[in-house]
Amino acid sequence: MNTIPVIINDKKLDVDPGKTILEVCRENDIEMLTMCHLKGVMDIGACRLCLVEVEGANKLMSACTTRVNANMIVRTATDKIKRYQRITTELFFAERNHVCSVCVANGKCELQQLGYKVELDHIRYPHLFPQCEVDTSHPWYVMDHNRCIMCTRCVRVCTEVEGAHNWDVMNRGHQVRIISDFNTPWGESITCTSCGKCLHACPTGAIWPKAIVQGQLEKKPEMLSELMEKRKMKL
Amino acid sequence: MNKKKLATVWLGGCSGCHMSLLDIDERILDVAKLADIVKSPVVDGKEMPPVDIALVEGAITSDEHYREILHIRKQAKTLIAFGDCAVMTNVTGMRNYFHLKDVFDTAYRNAISNDQEGKVPDHPSLLKLNEKVVPLQEVVKVDFVIPGCPPDADAIFYVLFEFLHDRFPNLSKAKKLKYG
Repeated sequence: MNTIPVIINDKKLDVDPGKTILEVCRENDIEMLTMCHLKGVMDIGACRLCLVEVEGANKLMSACTTRVNANMIVRTATDKIKRYQRITTELFFAERNHVCSVCVANGKCELQQLGYKVELDHIRYPHLFPQCEVDTSHPWYVMDHNRCIMCTRCVRVCTEVEGAHNWDVMNRGHQVRIISDFNTPWGESITCTSCGKCLHACPTGAIWPKAIVQGQLEKKPEMLSELMEKRKMKL
Repeated sequence: MNKKKLATVWLGGCSGCHMSLLDIDERILDVAKLADIVKSPVVDGKEMPPVDIALVEGAITSDEHYREILHIRKQAKTLIAFGDCAVMTNVTGMRNYFHLKDVFDTAYRNAISNDQEGKVPDHPSLLKLNEKVVPLQEVVKVDFVIPGCPPDADAIFYVLFEFLHDRFPNLSKAKKLKYG
């Protein structure tokens, strides 16, 4: 196959055309921060953590939704990008109610890991402290909107991997919420197959099984990516 | 070398951070060589004297805490927000999702364990809760933060040891950054 040359962080790479900047970076061990990306399901550029500088573009581009072009010059770790990543992470924490010490995902949370990576020790913005619902109507699982960061990985996994489309999104801005069916309790859903893929896709402690207590959550998002790879194989 | 003065204060928190401070175990002797602990919930003392380092646990929840933190800021050369509550309100701030009246009603009127009267305590000597809990940095300038619920004893000792040697610690570089 023909490859095209790109320059990422001053390093010349020959890559397959059609790939996204994020895919190229991951293949070449260039560290990229992501929250909404889950290998195997569609990328939507929601979390804004994978923003990169592309020479010639007048704005930062999300690496997960931008495909490589021949002779593209990309920078992934400039001071500006690091500053933005830190701001984005702080806003994740400030928007809803992330209380790590009482969370099932404590210690295994992708948001916590992200905080450590961007060296976040405190939040410079006032917390919004919204009143969020906790939907415990499902017999096995809980949806806690306090801990949701609107990455929509659950929505995409439910639609693209399970094919059920129980989850969707309503409202805009800080009112935005993940909904089950037409904003009805999860336990009353007529589309949910109770497969549990959404809770493995969730990067935080927003979706979790009732059998779990504080800090005991184990998630396997890579299992979902593997599942999609297997489906592509012609057996 | 002059010994430094160290204070630890307990505001709106559960004292778990202080428990973790005690968890530095025998290393407290190393701290004692370099500093005198002049005010702390574990030593006797009234007014906060001028100090070099003040570790402040807990969020600002009431008028009393508000006055106290302003006083601490005046007295302390280095003010350290100590633990998740002081840094980002944490569990103490979980009442911020509700109106203060509902919080009181839940605790004193509607709780099953309450007596018949269901009276909210309002003695003049009691502190008055603010409508919202805020972290220290929203009231005063904070010089350093140690997040964690509670912070690890190692992280606490590392920060104290660096400050007592007039160095500025970096929790992230020391791989001791943690929340929850």
